Amino acid sequence: MSAEETLSEDERRALELVRETGGLHQSELWKELDVSSRKGSRIAESLQEAGLVQREEAVYQGHNTYFLMPRARDLEFSLLMAGDMLSPFIGEEEIDPTSDAFSQWLMNLAYEEY
Amino acid sequence: MAFEELLSDPVIQKYLHELVGPTGMPVAAAPPDGEVTDEELAEELGLELNDVRRALFILYENDLASYRRVRDEDSGWLTYLWTFEYENIPENLEEEMYRLLDALEERLEYERTHEFYLSEPAGLRFEFSEAMEFDFQCPETGAPLEPMENDDLVDAAEERIEELRDELNVDVTR
Repeated sequence: MSAEETLSEDERRALELVRETGGLHQSELWKELDVSSRKGSRIAESLQEAGLVQREEAVYQGHNTYFLMPRARDLEFSLLMAGDMLSPFIGEEEIDPTSDAFSQWLMNLAYEEY
Repeated sequence: MAFEELLSDPVIQKYLHELVGPTGMPVAAAPPDGEVTDEELAEELGLELNDVRRALFILYENDLASYRRVRDEDSGWLTYLWTFEYENIPENLEEEMYRLLDALEERLEYERTHEFYLSEPAGLRFEFSEAMEFDFQCPETGAPLEPMENDDLVDAAEERIEELRDELNVDVTR
């Protein structure tokens, strides 16, 4: 977490972009961020050094570049739980915030956890 | 068995159980190293081939398994060779955390802007317009519907939203 707190504004935007897209080429990254390719390269390098993205050599539109992927984070998955009930949206295409299943989940949260 | 560390997490076990159900759980809970056929799994686990296939396809739909087809040169039959891809579990659960956060934010807004009535004996909650339709009488027990505070739900939703935003580094001012 601390690695993320010390990011520059550009690095933070780049990381967000990598996470939102689920992965993109470095050449797309700097164009999207509207910075120079050199700067884009420095940003990608520092994110890789901070362990926040994975970087692999790739060829894109005939040019050598890198493919950047979000590093799967070790998150607190228990935040999906309310008591012993898992988020009711898992395995569901649509999210219905007023569904009975979600009401039950929220009740569990209110009366069992907090 | 592969992915032992991931599978030791009770939330991940629960997640797999939610996806494949109790009959598919033996398949989901013991991913072998490398490639395996559905027949091998069925034999090893003592399960019906159909149950094994069903579980494998659910895992496939969730990016947690992949297959390649190989034609047996003698018989001409197609064999499916399956690989478990549980390295994608953290990413899937991260996505679920974002979905849950969205739902909680919408739900919080709904809880704050509506009034609720309770049928104590039935343990059912009705939104104001529903309660009015039922003439403030529980449709199941006939008991009068009483106004109900939802502060506890609002507080719980707020607290979990805060925790999820913190964990996912979501900017509050977005």
